[in-house]
Amino acid sequence: MTASSSTLSVGARSRPRSGARLWKLQRSERVAGYGFAFPIAVLFAVFVGWPILFAIYLSFTRWSGFGAPQFIGVDNYTRMLSDPVASVAFVNTIVWAISVTVLQTVIPLVVAVLLSRVWNGLSVVVRTLLFIPGIVSFVVSGVLWKLIYDPNLGTLNNLLESIGLGALKQDWLSNPALVLPCILVVSLWGALGMNMLIFFAGIQGVDVSLYEAAQVDGASAWQQFRYVTIPSLRVVTAIVVSLNLMNGFKIFDLIFVMSSGGPNHASEVLGTYLYSLAFGSTSGSIPQLGYGSAFSVVVMLLCGVAVLVQIVLSRRASR
Amino acid sequence: MTTVATRAGTSSPTGARDARRRRFPTAKSFVAFILLAIAAFTMFPFVWLILTSIRPANTVFSGGFWPTSVSFDAYVKAWNSTDFGLHFANSMWITLVTVIGVVAFASLSGYAFAKLRFPFKNLIYVLLLATLMMPATSLIIPLYLQLKDLGLLNTQAGLIVLYVSSSAPFSMFLMRAFFETLPDELVQAARIDGAGEFEIFWRIMLPLARPGLATVIIFQFLATWNEFIYANTVLQNTDELPLQPVLFGLVGQYQTDWPTLCAGLTMSIVPVVLVYVWMQRQFVAGMTLGAVKN
Repeated sequence: MTASSSTLSVGARSRPRSGARLWKLQRSERVAGYGFAFPIAVLFAVFVGWPILFAIYLSFTRWSGFGAPQFIGVDNYTRMLSDPVASVAFVNTIVWAISVTVLQTVIPLVVAVLLSRVWNGLSVVVRTLLFIPGIVSFVVSGVLWKLIYDPNLGTLNNLLESIGLGALKQDWLSNPALVLPCILVVSLWGALGMNMLIFFAGIQGVDVSLYEAAQVDGASAWQQFRYVTIPSLRVVTAIVVSLNLMNGFKIFDLIFVMSSGGPNHASEVLGTYLYSLAFGSTSGSIPQLGYGSAFSVVVMLLCGVAVLVQIVLSRRASR
Repeated sequence: MTTVATRAGTSSPTGARDARRRRFPTAKSFVAFILLAIAAFTMFPFVWLILTSIRPANTVFSGGFWPTSVSFDAYVKAWNSTDFGLHFANSMWITLVTVIGVVAFASLSGYAFAKLRFPFKNLIYVLLLATLMMPATSLIIPLYLQLKDLGLLNTQAGLIVLYVSSSAPFSMFLMRAFFETLPDELVQAARIDGAGEFEIFWRIMLPLARPGLATVIIFQFLATWNEFIYANTVLQNTDELPLQPVLFGLVGQYQTDWPTLCAGLTMSIVPVVLVYVWMQRQFVAGMTLGAVKN
């Protein structure tokens, strides 16, 4: 808006012209504006906007995909409240999102600070390596770690055995208490590099004179971190927190690949449950598109919450 | 974007403090040791993956961590028995078309939202961005039904349309950020010289936004190559499948043949690692810019 008004004033100042000519110029600009934005807007309307509305509609129906959807009001939502798997999935999704947000913010921050304090060459090498897990797909990382966690032949159990901790050996992904923490490790492994880099870029932007002033005042390394680095990174932290929260609510691929929500729904999240309701052959032969869509709406609402958190955080951080 | 890259190259803000103490940098060495340990933990799964893929089949579950002899049989087997070449080509084709589509739509609209004035511009922009974070899982049911209605289910065209429409808004957002860094006077001067709006975009502004394009291309390449849920849902015909659903299917099929499984996984990550190594600077700079501008 500031950009457009300055364009106008520059044009008007540098070249006096009649109102009609200006109007004509602006018209061609308007036409171009709509023309350039039109294709994406159409695609978006057909394949994002409409599906959102359709999902909301379907969530009030019962439908197997054949015949016409049958309108049943809020029955899907009340059914959700009494469905034990739904509550497990809901709680797991929330717990997952919060754990991911905390761990994938704090650990990358600490690593980024450490990286800013070592020799530059080492820092570059470590940064490059840490980023690699983030570029492979969730299928690859999920399958890879599934092999590592394998109860009989997996490297983790072999490793524990070889360092004398054989007593800890177990079937990691079949243990209801351990399955989500195990997958969380994989998530952290994948996200560390990216989040660390965002923090690292932020640290590079911190005014060096602040550290110098702190040193003059005799601040220890910890005090510098606590009273200079952390406050200077408020905006960046707000970004990382909201990205993590959003990705946390979206969780699907890793769990689908590594445990499919098992054992016995112990690692079920909203994404995997709605997928199995709609497309899974194991949950019964009839696709439950209406009930599944109700979960779609819940996931959308959670992402809406994440967006609100982002807005609030970034407002407060930039104040 | 250059600022991030050059800043990353300069010394750390603690340089002044280190200059003050001239003794052996104990603290620094300790930190370096911790970082190397973290890097080792990060790389361990990949090292293990590659070592497992080159083990002779009969020594997988016996013997130490380092294989005593090397065999590439697993790669041959993985390539032949899974029709790897076909799925690899499918992934390449789907990714290529998606990237071209996203770049075309995102740069045009990103330019329009950054540099052109038209009524309801901000409203349209906000609408496009509002659902940027809409997760694939919550749209998968209606999208599946919609593709079915349009006769695009089980076709690569259907999958590509989903990819382009779901990822173009984010790339548009990146491109808009890049176009905004270019001076308005360029557009203005070109208009005075009588250039048409598309000509200004195509001949003047787009070439200047090359760093932005590089970021969008590389980001989109990785995202499309790695995508799983849409590919797994939209395509059922085995011949049409890209790599990710095939890799997922390998787990059940080669439950006990880990070298073959690991060889397949390794081959599938070669393109993304190559792209990462080749265009690392643009990628990292673009990602951080995108995230920070957010």
